[in-house]
Amino acid sequence: MTLHPLFLNFVAQGVPIDTIRYILMFPLIVTLVAFFRQVVGIKAFGIYTPSIVTFAFLAFDPGGLKYGVAIFVSIILVGMLSRLLLRRLRILYLPRVAISLTIVALAILAILVAGGSLHRTGLASVSIFPLLIMITLVEKFVATQIEKGDKVALMLAGETLFISLVGYFLARSSTIAEYLLAFPWIVLLTIPVNIFLGRWRGLRLSELLRFSKLLK
Amino acid sequence: MIPLLEAWKKSRDILGMNARNLDYLRPYNKKRAKRFADDKIACKRLLAKNELPVPLLIARIKTLDDLENFDWSKLPESFALKPNHGFGGEGILVVYGKKKNEEHTWIKADGSLIRVEDLKTHIRNILDGSFSLANMPDSAFFEERLKLLKLFKPYSWKGIPDIRVIVFNRVPVMAMLRLPTKESGGKANLQHGALGLGIDMANGTTTSAVQGFGGFARSIDCVPGTRLVLSGIRIPFWKEILRLAVEAQNISGLGYLGADIAIDRDRGPVFLELNARPGLSIQLANLDGLKGRLTRVSGLKVKTAEKGVRMGMDLFGGEIEEEIEEISGKKIIGTVEKVKLIGKNGKEIEVEAKIDTGADSTSIDTELARELGFGEVMNFFETIPKPENTENRSTLSALSAEYDQKYKHAHPDLSGVVFVYAPNGFTMRPKILISFFLHGAEVSSRVSIIERSRMQYPIIIGRRDLKKFLIDSNK
Repeated sequence: MTLHPLFLNFVAQGVPIDTIRYILMFPLIVTLVAFFRQVVGIKAFGIYTPSIVTFAFLAFDPGGLKYGVAIFVSIILVGMLSRLLLRRLRILYLPRVAISLTIVALAILAILVAGGSLHRTGLASVSIFPLLIMITLVEKFVATQIEKGDKVALMLAGETLFISLVGYFLARSSTIAEYLLAFPWIVLLTIPVNIFLGRWRGLRLSELLRFSKLLK
Repeated sequence: MIPLLEAWKKSRDILGMNARNLDYLRPYNKKRAKRFADDKIACKRLLAKNELPVPLLIARIKTLDDLENFDWSKLPESFALKPNHGFGGEGILVVYGKKKNEEHTWIKADGSLIRVEDLKTHIRNILDGSFSLANMPDSAFFEERLKLLKLFKPYSWKGIPDIRVIVFNRVPVMAMLRLPTKESGGKANLQHGALGLGIDMANGTTTSAVQGFGGFARSIDCVPGTRLVLSGIRIPFWKEILRLAVEAQNISGLGYLGADIAIDRDRGPVFLELNARPGLSIQLANLDGLKGRLTRVSGLKVKTAEKGVRMGMDLFGGEIEEEIEEISGKKIIGTVEKVKLIGKNGKEIEVEAKIDTGADSTSIDTELARELGFGEVMNFFETIPKPENTENRSTLSALSAEYDQKYKHAHPDLSGVVFVYAPNGFTMRPKILISFFLHGAEVSSRVSIIERSRMQYPIIIGRRDLKKFLIDSNK
């Protein structure tokens, strides 16, 4: 693997190579999210959530993607459940989200304990950082549930999972990583790409589907 | 490959989210105008200042202090409680009546009761920003509850239907009637499952319909669960509604506007709100693309609201109908039409008339005749003695002829007397000369006067006066 001279220096200073790699990956991931929104029409929970979940998945590595997805799905399920429980309790927004977050945190704790007792060491050795990221997902989810209803929230959660998975495989690609580490300036190419995406006036793929009746 | 090419060509007429944001919202809806449209109370005030109709504001609650000091006895029997910066119909609470014998208790659409404590919790949620864009703290307000138009009653579930009109460059380009359903919980928003009905811009008649679910919409012919056909509903005050929408564009400065207008039973068209980011489903309801229409009107110089309305009506509807009218030289009317009657001394009254090809001639209600200034001749008519023996139709027509001859000139307004079969024998009716306007054409008619107060329409128009028209029973 050839490193750009700049990074040789960084590495000599003790910056981990993976950190450099993921920071360089970040522009690519967010551009991917923008592409999915503007051209494909997959919305997800904004741009921050799918990209940060991508990195949470990466943090489960090696071989921890299945745990990442499992925790993602269980968080959504517990989030839904907590809304059902809290529906009768007529309380204001923030306290309600706080209770939801508490329930989710406890649920994750339960999953970790269960993982430990089943000797799933991969799950137990997960660092706290990706777990916390995943928990914050609940706020997005609950907010969407309140504003737009369960269906939309579930759909957006599914879309977020999808984009994060695509992002995960993109970020894992060693070919791309090698190019980025050797020629870091290519990340600047995402800027013209985003300018193009930002001026894209065409119908999104999802809209072609939505308006298919008008195309006949 | 040909159908694919066709589809691609058609896709260019459809307005997508990207093009809407870049080509219409960004350049034409400036930040100030947008902020204004999002602030319902400010919007209401401005419209009212310019003499456009809006629901009356009952009270506003800005802070928790306001809420604690609020005088609940100030609230009327029925009202709507709304968040000022709400969107998509969220957070709106409507009560229909006060519960008797119980202080400060109201009844909601579904019959459940709501007390001051419930209202307070709801208002606290509103103040906290639960229903506003980006959860910004908000204020709440009470406003007059609009009353449902009789015409819409069979079509809507609990809530009030409204008409969304897209206005661009002072031309109303597309419109949709939104009907609340059970699925939408009485809300008129497509994403909640309300019905969206496309509208022929020329005459305000509904065409195709969809029911929304999520971001999608499926075609539908009848009101869900019934056999009530959704096409062919003629929206009253159509031209007025379009004019109001265009005026609202002038006032608000929103170059690409979605105006939501409801029709109140007593007040007629009333603005519900102005929308600075109108959705795209209207294209599905109308089975037509917005971009094609917007392109056709961009760059046109439209000086007045009236001109813009006329352009919208001419450009985007009624083509088939106009062709038939041109070929036959006859106007196409529906089975119920507005007519303007010209009474004595030029007095004009507009009413809904039933077009009845089963009747030979036109007849109007006694009350209406009096209002039109024919009270005197009716009083005179009362003094004419009624004949007694009437056994069959020949004697009836003979009687008619005889009385006609005898009393024709007995009073300057009386133009004849006619005998008509009725369940209990016959009735004797006076005939007068009157002219009325039907679908823009003047008709001079000899009409008979009869008590119709228990009928739905105060006038029926018979065959003799329908020679200039074709009747479309779907209209």
